[in-house]
Amino acid sequence: MKAAGNVLLFAGLTLRELVRRKLVAAVVLLTLVIVAFTAWGMHRLATAVVDGAPIAEPAVRGTAAGIVMMLAFLFSFVIALGAALIGAPAMAESIANGEILAVLARPVRRTEVLLGRWLGTIVAITLYVAAAGGLELFVVRALTGYVPPHPLTALAFLAGDGAVVTTAAIALAARLPALAAGIVPALLYGLAWIGGVVQSVGLGLGNVRLADTGTIVALLFPSDALWRGALYALEPAVFTAVAANANASGAGVNPFAETSPQAPAMLAWACGWIVVVLMAGIVAFRTRDL
Amino acid sequence: MPDEAIVARELAKRYGRIDALHDLSLRVARGECLGFLGPNGAGKSTAVKMLVGLVRPTGGAADVLGKPVGDRATRARIGYLPELFRYPDWLAAREVLAFHARLLRLHDAARAIDTVLDEVGLRERAGDRVGTYSKGMQQRLGLAVALLGAPEIVFLDEPTSALDPVGRSDVRALIERLRARGTTVFLNSHLLGEVERVCDRVCVVDRGRVVAEGTVDALTGATRGVRVQLEDGWREFDCAPAEIPDLIARLVREGARIHAVEPNQTTLEDRFLALVRHA
Repeated sequence: MKAAGNVLLFAGLTLRELVRRKLVAAVVLLTLVIVAFTAWGMHRLATAVVDGAPIAEPAVRGTAAGIVMMLAFLFSFVIALGAALIGAPAMAESIANGEILAVLARPVRRTEVLLGRWLGTIVAITLYVAAAGGLELFVVRALTGYVPPHPLTALAFLAGDGAVVTTAAIALAARLPALAAGIVPALLYGLAWIGGVVQSVGLGLGNVRLADTGTIVALLFPSDALWRGALYALEPAVFTAVAANANASGAGVNPFAETSPQAPAMLAWACGWIVVVLMAGIVAFRTRDL
Repeated sequence: MPDEAIVARELAKRYGRIDALHDLSLRVARGECLGFLGPNGAGKSTAVKMLVGLVRPTGGAADVLGKPVGDRATRARIGYLPELFRYPDWLAAREVLAFHARLLRLHDAARAIDTVLDEVGLRERAGDRVGTYSKGMQQRLGLAVALLGAPEIVFLDEPTSALDPVGRSDVRALIERLRARGTTVFLNSHLLGEVERVCDRVCVVDRGRVVAEGTVDALTGATRGVRVQLEDGWREFDCAPAEIPDLIARLVREGARIHAVEPNQTTLEDRFLALVRHA
């Protein structure tokens, strides 16, 4: 129980720091600006007149669906960057500036400190995904009537995406300075996305080696697998069908579409990956001199 | 309950090919104030960090309060002021102390916090954020954190490095109060005068090795003779301490005008410099 209490204590400290350092206020403000722009765009879409007549409702919804997927794509990068830039300093800065010294001289395990920092960052990222993502989807629905097929699943996958990057950042920060521990996961996130595109192209072209390369990248850093889970949950059935037909007929591959849900094995892999990387971070932190 | 607060047996730390600390063996009795001296890079902070469980020894072993270093339960009975003291600048001093009180699971945290704030003279600014503090005030906060929960042993690593003369005097008084209460103090300091005044015993390390250890008197040597300031300047007289009054009386009888008399004693600084320069 004491261990759990300490983990929650450090998680709370992480969240309090984000609030006190005005990061939360800045993110809320920026999110509201982005939501306002989305609302403006969606309103213009819903009220647009073409050839003297308003756009048909199905067309409005179809266009809104495309915009939502594009926004989700950009949102996923913001989440990844946010996770890296919050997670890495949460651990590494307190080590570098000496704050951790007086703390670790207390009856507290290093494992509890790292898990607390990790949990605090995960909670922050998940709250951001839920609030910002939920608000965006609400605005789109209110102005265009469009609702993605599985909005909650999509948000859960995006939060998982953030969890992968957070875990990597925290684990690296147990040994590396904040800058390196933040940049490396952000770069890995980008590489994983490219790996996902390579995998799609490989599958579309029937090139097994190309597809395997992408699969290996997805296994090494499973963020893109989770992003594709979010993408599939956001795609209307007609989008998925069109992309699948194009793949099957050889008419072309759309690497920005996902034609199948993520395999449970891949999700289990992503969860296992988080646990293993977190454990590696704990070992790295426990065995370092301060 | 063991009589010794700290027992180090050939404690060593190597970083690659560098010996940060080489076979440190020492014993510190409960209630004793030990001055741990050495030039920069001598291994003082490494030794302190090993004793509080932040750095793992590459050789030897040590017990603190009868338990191997790093023992989690024992850490609740230890206070530590790091040389690199830093506390979250977005928290108020009282919040920093409340956080540490929760880690220590103190029952009457509010009272314990007020007590240490009074000890270090920070009560009036306790509600202000650490970011608004001067370096000296941050060091006072570090002392308050170290003293929280009335630890049985306190490791102070350069506790006056950021303090002005008033602050240094306050810390000396604080250490004396700790000694009076029976708290063991492990004082790591560059300020030899400070160590000379408050410590029972001194351990000098240089380049990772202990080069001298003993009471201040034993290290500096007993007083031998006096320096007397006469009209024409200072003169030294070689005599036993018991002969000093007779010497002064004789000089006055002979018509000397005496302006000052001081014991002709090697200071800790003289001895320290001789030790580390010789080494």
